[in-house]
Amino acid sequence: MGLLKFMTQRCAALMAASAVSLGASTSAVLANQPKPWQLGFQDAATENMAMITDFNNFLLYLMTAICILVLGLMLYVMVRFNAKSNPEPSKTTHNTLVEVVWTVLPILILVVIAIPSFRLLYFQREIPQAEVTVKAVGYQWYWGYEYPDHGDFAFDSLMLNDEERGDQPRLLATDTAMVVPVDTTVRVIVTAADVLHAFAMPAFGLKMDAVPGRLNETWFKAEKTGTFYGQCSELCGIRHAFMPIRIEVVSKEQFAAWVEEAKAEYANLQSSDGMYANAAITDATR
Amino acid sequence: MANEAAAAGHEDHPTGWRRYVYSTNHKDIGTMYLIFAIIAGVIGGAMSVVMRMELQSPGDGVLDGNFHLYNVLVTGHGLIMIFFMVMPAMIGGFGNWFVPLMIGAPDMAFPRMNNISFWLLPASFALLVASIFAEGPPGANGVGGGWTIYPPLSTSGQPGPAMDYAILSLHVAGISSILGAINFITTIFNMRAPGMTLHKMPLFVWSILVTVFLLLLSLPVFAGAITMLLTDRNFGTTFFDPAGGGDPILYQHLFWFFAHPEVYILILPGFGMVSQIVSTFSKKPVFGYLGMAYAMVAIGGVGFVVWAHHMYTAGLSVDTQAYFVAATMVIAVPTGVKIFSWIATMWGGSIEFKTPMLWALGFIFLFTLGGVTGVMLANAGIDRAYHDTYFVVAHFHYVLSLGAVFAIFAGWYYWFGKMFGYTYSEFIGKLHFWVTFFGVNLLFFPQHFLGMAGMPRRYVDYPDAFADWNYWSSIGSYISAFGVLIFLFGVVHALVRKQPAGNNPWGEGANTLEWTLTSPPPFHQFSDLPKIK
Amino acid sequence: MRETLPPSEKKANRSVAVGAAMLAISMVGVSYAAVPLYDLFCRVTGFGGTTQVALEAPGAVSQRIVTIRFDASLNRKMPWGFKPPKHAVALPVGESGLAFYHAHNPTERRITGTATYNVSPPEAGVYFSKIDCFCFTEQVLEPGQSVDMPVSFFIDPEILTDREMDDVKTITLSYTFFEATPSARLEVPIDTQVELAPRG
Repeated sequence: MGLLKFMTQRCAALMAASAVSLGASTSAVLANQPKPWQLGFQDAATENMAMITDFNNFLLYLMTAICILVLGLMLYVMVRFNAKSNPEPSKTTHNTLVEVVWTVLPILILVVIAIPSFRLLYFQREIPQAEVTVKAVGYQWYWGYEYPDHGDFAFDSLMLNDEERGDQPRLLATDTAMVVPVDTTVRVIVTAADVLHAFAMPAFGLKMDAVPGRLNETWFKAEKTGTFYGQCSELCGIRHAFMPIRIEVVSKEQFAAWVEEAKAEYANLQSSDGMYANAAITDATR
Repeated sequence: MANEAAAAGHEDHPTGWRRYVYSTNHKDIGTMYLIFAIIAGVIGGAMSVVMRMELQSPGDGVLDGNFHLYNVLVTGHGLIMIFFMVMPAMIGGFGNWFVPLMIGAPDMAFPRMNNISFWLLPASFALLVASIFAEGPPGANGVGGGWTIYPPLSTSGQPGPAMDYAILSLHVAGISSILGAINFITTIFNMRAPGMTLHKMPLFVWSILVTVFLLLLSLPVFAGAITMLLTDRNFGTTFFDPAGGGDPILYQHLFWFFAHPEVYILILPGFGMVSQIVSTFSKKPVFGYLGMAYAMVAIGGVGFVVWAHHMYTAGLSVDTQAYFVAATMVIAVPTGVKIFSWIATMWGGSIEFKTPMLWALGFIFLFTLGGVTGVMLANAGIDRAYHDTYFVVAHFHYVLSLGAVFAIFAGWYYWFGKMFGYTYSEFIGKLHFWVTFFGVNLLFFPQHFLGMAGMPRRYVDYPDAFADWNYWSSIGSYISAFGVLIFLFGVVHALVRKQPAGNNPWGEGANTLEWTLTSPPPFHQFSDLPKIK
Repeated sequence: MRETLPPSEKKANRSVAVGAAMLAISMVGVSYAAVPLYDLFCRVTGFGGTTQVALEAPGAVSQRIVTIRFDASLNRKMPWGFKPPKHAVALPVGESGLAFYHAHNPTERRITGTATYNVSPPEAGVYFSKIDCFCFTEQVLEPGQSVDMPVSFFIDPEILTDREMDDVKTITLSYTFFEATPSARLEVPIDTQVELAPRG
């Protein structure tokens, strides 16, 4: 029965892929995805990711400075105190002052790191009043999305292969996408139906484990429209690398229109009893 | 020498294959551990090269679309390198060889138990290899759950017997390590020569002492957790199965309560070896000896209360995450003390750049690099971007592959003459170092970029944008593998060349007790216990 | 050469080894003790969004309203239908609320279900008290049977004193139904469920 439910959803989702225009029409030019030879993070599309990027840059400078300090000291020691330039080794084994300094200084650096770190952490946790709630469910090996506040429709999102994907990037292309309005706080509730998965969207600074039997919650507020790609980020079995996440951020009007289309498209999945009635019929005819 | 005379009176030891199979001699057992680690390391390394070949270009590579095999390689590489390469080399190999020598003991406290500890390892390894050929998920062979073997993927996700073999393998390896830990604790506490107080012990002995305590406290928790996995899989218990009131998150807590100390187990003996080597080749005593020893104790202690920094995205409350951020960053302080103390040890010294010193210097810098990315990852706020990406892979390979493995090679060249009686070729040793140094940096540095761009770890295939850095990373892997060949050639070369090493090839800087003995040391040493001033 | 070891040293070695072995064995015990202790810890502190159990609600004590959202999930192997007919309710702190979840067994066999639950954000767990819940026991649905299962709950007024909870205006209550594993199956139907005519 579970398989049949999956099959019926699957068929509906595939039909919907062609029907729901926003699902595939957005140009890949707008896509926010990794680029060749990329050195840093993807461009931030949310305030959260912008904060992550800023804090990370601060850390990178600090950590690079520490590495250069250590490397510099090592090079100096290697040049100044090698056997040729310093044949007579000293016997110094203690210097209370420097020992105190190199204990206290790292503590101060860590305090300097901790303050913005905690600020960021608590910013991420404070979930503002969300206008849209989307539920993401991890399956082996695809994602399902539900919109409980917009007619409670649900659909699945599967990776497209090379023949099907059009101009979408390989391994990131999906048939349907999570569609959300721009400049709107979106609550994402995440769970899994079989094994662990993780819902991730790099441009949003978003990553949340999908745990069977448990609901996790996170949020984002996308500040620009476009197509965004992410990938499952917790080892979930054979096709772990092949269950991408596509989020389409659209204007509020487009979102409203999409909701109407989607409601009609996925209506047969809406009522659980109705759905199982279908499944039972299929079961009987097999 | 008195030792040799004493040894001559003990010609009762078995010869031929019996000498090794029935061995109760810490040096022979140490040698067997090292040989075992080399074999396992070559197998585990070959697995990583196959993985890099697959990842060299996007699309199906050498594995030809066998995605499960890739996961099996990921799992096997992780487990082999941790349990069958680094731990046997550092604790079983160098620990067995040099802890008794350095504290002036005739042997380990329980020589027969030492033999059992070693011979459990090949059995355990055989079980792990067997798991590769047993059914895992329906229709595929081997364990593909990663070394973390999180349920439910490791329970309902892979019903075949492969996972059971792997769990049993870890049980056996765990028993081996716990027996070894008991042996080392007893040896270090009870068998020190007169005058060898705890505060006079060489830092390598300190590092082993801290390590075996970590083993003793953390491994049983892991054994318990995987036993629960085993009964969940086979006997209908529901420790981690939500359907019966269990919680998969609990497994993660138990696992990381073990596995975080475990990563310190992998690196602490390296700290000890690097301390000995830096001191020897600077011809100076270790700077801040007590600070160095207690920094290791502190790292070990704090290592037990930071585990959930591996679980920032699992849905922990924000206060829990904040605690683990703070606790994790604390570790940077004793680690910093160690880095700076090594530099201070060299300061004012008269440094000779022999091969072991090159590896130790490489260790200090690359471990620093891996350490600072660790400080970045400690911040839960940005772990959202980094968690389970290649940035994490780069981080832990910088501290383990470029940290622990560099320390192992440093120790190998440092003690090669002492263990086998012959000198290695400085040219081959240095060539090995430079090829490896170049190879592993080319291999792992680009992975930082891949991780920042968002490439998740444990991926058999990746979007085309990641192709360039992956290509260079794979090239680095092949260069590193070539480095391993140089290493093996160097070993054979030295053993064939048979150039005697002499009792102390390193001169005045090498002042621990093993250098007072012949090379190789007599079968039984210190029948007259040395007196330490 | 072991024979050269004096008996006193042998004894000292043995006692250290036995002590170390006891330590290792006790750590195995700790790992098993962690299972009930973790459970207890979660229940007491609400860790991970574990909800609390109470006998009755204290009644509304302030103007503060919290929105309670209802979420339903199903394990993949669980063939039931499971939905909350109403997705959210606004509830004054301290006042008791009642919600129903609709479950349906579309199969030809009797199925026992067991539900896991948590609230999100996880910090709210300690303040979310259930008076009665279908999740306290296993549920049995006959072939084709549908039920509306109640859960009654309230937000503990203690939440008003926790400054960190001031910004929490929405709490999501989530259930996931699993088919009970055979070993854990108790087959206890509960009498609080409201029978509906089987559909489909």
